[in-house]
Amino acid sequence: MTDSTKLIVSHAPFYRDACTVMKRSYLIMAAALVALIPGWFLFGAPAVGVSALAVASSIFWELTANTLMKQQPTIGDGNAAMIGLILSMLLPATAPWWMVITGTFVAIIMSKIAFGGIGGNPFCPPALSAAVLTVSWPHLMNFNGMLVNYDMAWSMVDPLINVKFFGAETASLYPPLELLFGHQAGGIGAVCGAGLILGGIFLMIRGISSWEICLSFLGGVFVAAFLFNMSNPDLYAGPVFHLLTGYTLVGAFFLATEDSSSPVNLIPMLIYGFGGGMLTVLIRNKGVWVDGVLFAVLLMNLANPILDMIRPKALGKV
Amino acid sequence: MRPENERKLAVILGLVLLAAAALCYTVLKPEAPEEPVRMLFKGSAGDVLFTHQVHIGEYDVDCASCHHNLDDGDEVYTCSECHEPGASGDDDVMGRTDAMHAQCIGCHEEMDAGPAECAACHATPK
Repeated sequence: MTDSTKLIVSHAPFYRDACTVMKRSYLIMAAALVALIPGWFLFGAPAVGVSALAVASSIFWELTANTLMKQQPTIGDGNAAMIGLILSMLLPATAPWWMVITGTFVAIIMSKIAFGGIGGNPFCPPALSAAVLTVSWPHLMNFNGMLVNYDMAWSMVDPLINVKFFGAETASLYPPLELLFGHQAGGIGAVCGAGLILGGIFLMIRGISSWEICLSFLGGVFVAAFLFNMSNPDLYAGPVFHLLTGYTLVGAFFLATEDSSSPVNLIPMLIYGFGGGMLTVLIRNKGVWVDGVLFAVLLMNLANPILDMIRPKALGKV
Repeated sequence: MRPENERKLAVILGLVLLAAAALCYTVLKPEAPEEPVRMLFKGSAGDVLFTHQVHIGEYDVDCASCHHNLDDGDEVYTCSECHEPGASGDDDVMGRTDAMHAQCIGCHEEMDAGPAECAACHATPK
């Protein structure tokens, strides 16, 4: 086994602010908790169980992979725990244990380790994992079916299902303020809009999530939803509804901004984010799936290497 | 933090959360309510989300209106225990689809309340 700390190579005068991978991971988890804790309160012990199992199984999948590959364990950097926690934000509170463990297997082994570990993954691991779960077991990712026994004071019909299948007028059942407080059916960490916005602002201020990607993603959702709504207000809900429902805010702040699967230059980041937002609404309104965020993020991940070829002009002339 | 301490922290975190998850999935798991809150019926024309508790509470629908076997005893049978999927081979017992349609649409029309059109209940793409 090799000790990775002995192989650090430095060249050029890099900017150093003492922010380690571990610190980044734990800060992202802290931001995710701002949205998850209201979800735990709303959905109770089953939701806590899903999040706890997702984090624990992610850590152990990575440790198992490290052991089998005779590598120095990488679980200390907190990345595996972070992936598990973000995946749990997307799952219904009543997700069965085996689905959570399968989800973390896809996220850690198939989406990250298979591509060489942290920094090598071409797709956002929690998004890829949740997309695989959605396609494999759609009934277990259907919030209407999974949350049938939750009796709340507000409508527990998935807002996106309602709007897609029963018309845009059903959007009036979900006032924006209620959506901000988490009064809707959805993923454990995806229902509380206010928590997600606070966590997102924290990540943008700390420079962990690129504000260019977050804001252009939300801009893309807004513009696309506005255009659809203008074209047929009876069929397509308005932009505020699309911004506060489904995985939109999780996608903007936690999925699209994943380090290795998103661009690094300004113009590519803006195109990437805006394209992701537009695709989200396009899939929601025209696709067969109820929520388009996961597939939109994955499609933009796919375009990331091409987008990153748009580079700033080099200074000076030869 | 030293790398070995970072790894120890992750392992401890994993073990503690695994124990917490085991508790939440077993001891702390809430019992399913005796009367379902909502029920999701799968259908070839699209899912139907039936608001069971709203029908009992707000619409004041009597249990025996749907669970018509109550006369036979105290036990409440679910619809699917007798009404089999698709068309029934037994002339005396309707197939599940027909039974559901007759029950829902029949009651809605009789009470002049609630939808009777397919797309008003079934989640079908617009």
